[in-house]
Amino acid sequence: MKSKMRELRTLAQWSQSELAERLGVSRQTINAIETEKYDPSLPLAFKIAALFKQPIEEIFTGGA
Amino acid sequence: MDKPNLIESIIPCSGHYSLKKDLHLNAWLAVATATYVAELYLTTRHPDWSPLTRGLIALAPLIPGFLYIRGWLQFIRGLDELQRRIQLEAFLFTALGTIIVGTVIDTLNASGVSLGFLRHGLGLGGAFMVMFTLWLLAGAVVNCRYK
Repeated sequence: MKSKMRELRTLAQWSQSELAERLGVSRQTINAIETEKYDPSLPLAFKIAALFKQPIEEIFTGGA
Repeated sequence: MDKPNLIESIIPCSGHYSLKKDLHLNAWLAVATATYVAELYLTTRHPDWSPLTRGLIALAPLIPGFLYIRGWLQFIRGLDELQRRIQLEAFLFTALGTIIVGTVIDTLNASGVSLGFLRHGLGLGGAFMVMFTLWLLAGAVVNCRYK
């Protein structure tokens, strides 16, 4: 799954650790999502969408 | 937001190691090991005790063992979702690996191959050692995949 999370995080000027803390996950999870090695669960995807105030489909798009 | 449990908090020299968390999680393992040693001592020293007593003593290490497993399950529930996935994959590998190692040892013993101290099978202590080794190995391999 493709994700715009890195782009949004950079715009917000947050480090991976800061974002991880805001979402209540580990920094490794943020990195794995950004590098597309891991697809977040639906609850986490909703949290990410709510944090960046964007619809989920804007942040995550299908395709390997 | 609640901080998730970190697996590094129970791995010495990882930079996030917490002795308190390690002791909290692994204290029951120490109790289980001590109970197992006491059980071995008592059952070998007192073959005259009734089968019921010997059976109860032999099964005693299972109680701290279950508490140890419960502690781990609680710890895993507190991990973040990626860590939980890594640990579950590692545990699955560990369980299957231990079954395979145990089966190979039993099969070799049954076919008459001399395996020295493993001639009576893997045993509880051996199973723990194999599981721990496989868990470390699997954890490292699965972790690398998501690095």
